[in-house]
Amino acid sequence: MYSLLLLNGGIGARVAAGQPKQLIKVRGIPILVYSLVAADAVEEIDQIILNYPEGWRDDVERIVAAYAIKTPVTYVEAGDTRHESVAKMLGSATNDDVIIHETARPLVSSSDFTALIAEPAANVSLMLEIPFTVAPVDPESRTVTGYLERSTLRNVQLPQKFAKADLAAAHAFAKAEGRTFTEDATLVAVAGHEVRFIDGQDRNIKVTTPTDVKLATYLLTGGEESWDE
Amino acid sequence: MSKTLMVTGASKGIGLETVRRFLENDADLTAVVLVARESDEYTRALAELAELNTRGVTLTPYYADLADRDGVIALCGEVAREHGNVDILVNNAGYTKPVPLQQVDFADFERTMAVNVYAPFTFVQELLHQGNQFQLIVNIASTAGINGRSGWLTYSASKAAVINMSEVMREELAIYGTRVVCISPGRTATALRRVLAPEEDPTTIMQPQDVAAVIEMLASPVGKFVDSANLVVRQ
Repeated sequence: MYSLLLLNGGIGARVAAGQPKQLIKVRGIPILVYSLVAADAVEEIDQIILNYPEGWRDDVERIVAAYAIKTPVTYVEAGDTRHESVAKMLGSATNDDVIIHETARPLVSSSDFTALIAEPAANVSLMLEIPFTVAPVDPESRTVTGYLERSTLRNVQLPQKFAKADLAAAHAFAKAEGRTFTEDATLVAVAGHEVRFIDGQDRNIKVTTPTDVKLATYLLTGGEESWDE
Repeated sequence: MSKTLMVTGASKGIGLETVRRFLENDADLTAVVLVARESDEYTRALAELAELNTRGVTLTPYYADLADRDGVIALCGEVAREHGNVDILVNNAGYTKPVPLQQVDFADFERTMAVNVYAPFTFVQELLHQGNQFQLIVNIASTAGINGRSGWLTYSASKAAVINMSEVMREELAIYGTRVVCISPGRTATALRRVLAPEEDPTTIMQPQDVAAVIEMLASPVGKFVDSANLVVRQ
């Protein structure tokens, strides 16, 4: 069985000033509901560890209660960084295997979780091919410094799954090295554990800007069909 | 696999015909939850359904006045405890007392809204709070909710609310894969129609079993192709 670490902690001035971005709504529904409902339908997830920005616990608990989420939910206050939040939530996981997801990806489906769970490897991330070219640069001097072969690069998505022991060891490694990572697949890999990937879907976007909210709304309302008629 | 159908206003008209059709034609049906006020016709309807019930479907009648919100909430608790999941909910019960604006008694307007709008809302919200996962919700509105009719202010207003409430439900419950259907029957030979149009010969208009057949179609696999908007059903 799996514990889901559901990241819900950032303060997102980019979407709505004054409100944590995860409490924004998509189609009038709090964005965290989409991930909660998708995960709740997955039998192999029997614990959800949900973090909350300081001062928002009651609001988050009320949403979980109103939507009658059946999977037991453990609440953990968010850390200063995403890296720190994962480390804090990991301490509350009761299973040997964990899944990491973020509520800012409301287009996740139950089948994304089950596909990840079905992979035989212990550490697996959803990833996407990059359909454009990225360049390594020196931002200071605004100089292009080389070339990156895009066939060997991937866009890192969530959800991801890890053996709890590997993820904990990787976080201990980062702490000892004094390094902070922006996500966990590369952290666990850099710490020396094998991490595999499977293909994600391009509709599983991360909602961080007002434009993303519009795009997510469009995708969730099947806007394609009505536009075509 | 169990499949439970819940129908309000099940003692007569469209509600009773809906129960009858599912009982006769839906091989997967295991239980029916019937809700209506106590009456002789409800007793007769239950006896008739018991005779039709050759497959051992569990038929459970509940007695409730849907204007009593506390009673509706208590009923939802009972249904959740005794039946587990309600898969198909047909919000059919309706009430009207048609009078011109100047003669509307506000308490009666409130009763109309309570039965026609607040009760269907409460059934859905309470059952969701109990963790119920609906496969299909059918809300029965009316063509009188699309265009207001002189003399039917309270009824028209309540059914307009049902049409719009259904649109919101359809959008919001999509996260569970629940289909929400709203149908607006035109003139149908029901007891409610006799209150609205007492002079009319009921044999000349659409019959409750015709509307029940449409509900059955909506619950079938092809239903998903016609459920994206309020569906007008008229002769």
